[in-house]
Amino acid sequence: MAEEFEPKIVAFLCKWCSSAGSDMAGVSRMEYPPNVIPIQVMCSGSVSPLYIFTAFNKGADGVLVSGCHPGDCHYIKGNYYARRRIYFVKKLLEFIGLEPERFQMSWVSAAEGTKYTQVIKDFVKELKPLGPQAKLRRNP
Amino acid sequence: MANFEDLKEEARKLLREGKIKYLIGYGTGGNGWQAIPVFIKTPEDVEKLVWDPTCVHNLARFLVDEKRRKARQKQPDKRPVGVVVKGCDSRAIVVLLQEKFIDRQDIYVLGVSCEKAGVIDDHKLARKLGGKKPKKIELAADRFLITTADGKVEFPVEELLAERCLECQANFPVLYDILAGEKTRKAVDKPFGSVEKIEALGQEERWRFWKEQLDKCIRCYACRSVCPMCYCDECVVDSINLAVTADTTAEEKAHKVKWIQRSAESSENFVYHLVRAIHLAGRCIDCGECERACPLDIPLRFLNKKLEKEAKELFGYEVGFDPAQPPLISSFKDDDPGDFIR
Amino acid sequence: MTLEISSGKMMDKILEKKSLPLWMEKLNAWTVYAPRKDENERWNYEIIDHAPASLELAVTTLPAKALIFPQREVFLEFSKTIEGNRETLEVREVLPNGKPFVIFGVRPCDARAIWLLDRVFGGDFTDPYYWKRRSQASLIGLACHTPPWENCFCLSVEGSPHGEEGLDILLTDLGDSYYVKTLSTNGEKLVQAARELFKEPQPDDKKKVQARHAEARKKLVRGVKGTKKERAAALQGLFDSSLWDEESMSCIQCGICTYLCPSCHCFDINDEVDSISPLRGKRVRTWDNCQFPDFTMHSSGHNPRPDKASRLRQRVLHKFRYFVENFDQVMCTGCGRCISLCPVGIDIIKVLDKVSNHGA
Repeated sequence: MAEEFEPKIVAFLCKWCSSAGSDMAGVSRMEYPPNVIPIQVMCSGSVSPLYIFTAFNKGADGVLVSGCHPGDCHYIKGNYYARRRIYFVKKLLEFIGLEPERFQMSWVSAAEGTKYTQVIKDFVKELKPLGPQAKLRRNP
Repeated sequence: MANFEDLKEEARKLLREGKIKYLIGYGTGGNGWQAIPVFIKTPEDVEKLVWDPTCVHNLARFLVDEKRRKARQKQPDKRPVGVVVKGCDSRAIVVLLQEKFIDRQDIYVLGVSCEKAGVIDDHKLARKLGGKKPKKIELAADRFLITTADGKVEFPVEELLAERCLECQANFPVLYDILAGEKTRKAVDKPFGSVEKIEALGQEERWRFWKEQLDKCIRCYACRSVCPMCYCDECVVDSINLAVTADTTAEEKAHKVKWIQRSAESSENFVYHLVRAIHLAGRCIDCGECERACPLDIPLRFLNKKLEKEAKELFGYEVGFDPAQPPLISSFKDDDPGDFIR
Repeated sequence: MTLEISSGKMMDKILEKKSLPLWMEKLNAWTVYAPRKDENERWNYEIIDHAPASLELAVTTLPAKALIFPQREVFLEFSKTIEGNRETLEVREVLPNGKPFVIFGVRPCDARAIWLLDRVFGGDFTDPYYWKRRSQASLIGLACHTPPWENCFCLSVEGSPHGEEGLDILLTDLGDSYYVKTLSTNGEKLVQAARELFKEPQPDDKKKVQARHAEARKKLVRGVKGTKKERAAALQGLFDSSLWDEESMSCIQCGICTYLCPSCHCFDINDEVDSISPLRGKRVRTWDNCQFPDFTMHSSGHNPRPDKASRLRQRVLHKFRYFVENFDQVMCTGCGRCISLCPVGIDIIKVLDKVSNHGA
C-alpha cells in the first residue's frame, strides 16, 4: 500500500487568540491531524505577504493565517488590516493559478479549541487530493 | 484652454524668475523621433520640450531621484522642481503625496492631456510599419500620422495605442498647476478588460501562462527600477540590497534574512514578482513602464492591474485620484469582505 | 588556454540555402540553437525543434554570452553527513557536462565579445566552468549585409560586420546560398558532419563575398570618434568631470545595458543553503550588475560608487579605457543593444562624443 500523502501546513497563528486556541485544543487532549507547523506571530496583522509566499517557496502544501475575531484584536485593529491584506494575497495567488484551497484564513479565539481542530481537519481533507505543492516550491 | 506652447512659455517664465530649480520634461531623443526624458535648466533650453504620442515615460520617477539627491546635500536647494505629467503620471504623483513621500510645494506640475488618444506602443508600431523607420509621429483628432522615409501613413488611434491607454481612466492629469489640452473624458467600456481575459482562463491554463512568462525573467530588476512607487532604499526581496551603514553590527549582517536567492529560477522569480505586486496593491497606477522596460517582454502589468481591479470592485478604492485618501493596505472599513475567512 | 585554430588549409565551401535545414538536422551530436522571433518581433536563441528555412539577421535580446556564461551556474554542492559522532563534509564540484552545442546565426559583434571574454576567463587564471562550456560551444556566425539595428557601430570599435573573432564558421549570405568560411577545427567538424551538402565555391564567389562585405561596411551610419588610444586618453582626464552627472540624470539604474551587453561579465557568488540540518546546499554564480546601487557596497557600509554618475562613469571607462589598458582591446563591440533597449534613451555614442568634445 503506497504511503498516503500527508500535506504540510504552515499556520501563522496570532499569539493572543489563535495560538491560545491551539493550546486549548492541546490541553483538552482534542485529536486533530498532526500536519501543522505552527508559527506564532504577535498579531494576524503582522503577517507580511512575504511570509506566505516564502512558506510556499520552501515547500508548504498549505498555508493558514489565523487571528482574533473582528473587534477582539489584542491590538485593536490588527486583524482588520489582515483581512484586507490577506484578501489581496488570496486573489493574487488564485490569479497566477495556484489552487485556491491551499491558502486559508480563519478567525479562532482563545476559547475555540474545537473550532481550531475543525479548521485543521477540514484543511487537511481539502489538501490531500491536491497532492504536494510543486508550483511555487523551490527545487532542492 | 492652454496649449503646449503656453505651457512652454510658463516654463520659460518659471526658469527666468528662478521659481523652479529645473524642469523634467520630454525632449526628442537621438533617433530623431522618439521622446526621452530631458532636464531643462535654462529658459533657452525650454525649446527642447516636446509633447507627442511617443512620450511614454513616467516622469514622476525622477522625483524619487530628486528626493535622494536632496538627502545627500548638506544645504539643499529647497525650490520646487517642475515636472511634465500625463494623466497616468499625475496619479503617480497623487500616490506619492498620499504616502507623504513628497510635499505638494516641492513640485510644480505642468500637465498635458492625452485628449482622446494616448501613447504609442513600440511593438504595435514596428509591426504596422513592417520594418520602416518613422521620422515623426503626430496626433490629429482620432488618427496617428506617421511620417516615414516613403511618405505619410495614418492609422486610427486604437490600432497603435498602448494597451493601458485603451483602458485608461484618467486621460488628463488629476492635479496640475497648469494644463495644456482639453479635459476630455474618454469613455472606456471595460476598464479591466485585459485582466478579465486572463481571469477567464482555467486555473491550469493561467498557471502555464504565468510560468512560461516568469521563467523568462533574468532578474534584471528593471521593472522595479523604472517604477516611481518602488522607492524603498532597501528592497525586501533583494538580498544584496542591504542598507548597511557604519552602525550595522556584525551580528545584524550575519543574521540578515535572505528571502529568495539571486538565481533567476522559476520559484524565486515568482516570489519576487508576487511580492512586488502585493507591495504595489493600491499604489500602482498602470503607467505600464514596468512592462515597457522589461527586456524579455513579460506582461507584468496584468499582475498589478488585477489588484487594481480588486481594489476598485471590492473596496471601492480608486488608486491615485485623491491625495487625501489613506493608502489602501494601511486602512480598512468595518464592512470589508470576509466571506473567505472560516 | 586558447582554442585550437587549425593551422592547416581549411576549404571554403558553398551551401545552398535550401540545404540549411538539412545541415541543422544532421547535427545530432550537438544541441542546436538558432535565433527565433516571438510575437513581439523580438529574437532570442532557442533550441530548435524544427530548423528554420533560412537565417535572418537577428539581434537577439540576450546575447550569445548567455549560453556560455549563463545567468546562473552551480559551482559545487556541499552536504554534511553525521554518523554517530563523526561529521563528514562532502564537497562535490559540479562542472557543466552537457552535450556540445552549436549556435547558428551569431552576429560578429556577439562573437567578438566572447573572444574578448576568453581573455578575462583565461590568461593566468582559467575559469574551469567558463572553459568547459566554451570548449563545447561552436559558433556559426552570419555576416551582416546591412546593419541589423540603427545603433550598430562595430567598425569604430575595431569590429566589423564580417568579423571572424570568436567564430568557428562565418557564413556570408549570397542570395540563394551561403559562402561558408571555416575558421577552426570545431568548424571543420560541423561541416564534415554533413559534407555531402556542401559544394565547392566558384571562382567569382569569393569576389561576391568581398563585395557584400564592402557594401555592409558602407552602410554603417553611426560610430564613435577617435582611435582606442585617443579615447582612453580623453577619458583619463575626465574622471572628476561634471559630465557624468549630466549624462546620468535620466538613468534609472535598471541595469538593462549591463545585463544585455555581450561583453559584460561581472558576477556574484552566493551559497544557496537548501537545508540547515542536515546541511545541504550549493555554491552558485549569478550575473551581477555594476549599475545596481549596492554593487560596490562594502561590509563597513562605505560605498565608493554611491551615485548614478560614478556608476555610469565606471561602465564607460571599463569598456573604453580599463580594458584597453589591461588587454589592449576595446571591450565594447558596437552591438547597439544598450542604446536601443535603454528605457530612457541614454546613448553611449553620444556620451563618448561629449567626452571627445570636452577636451577640445
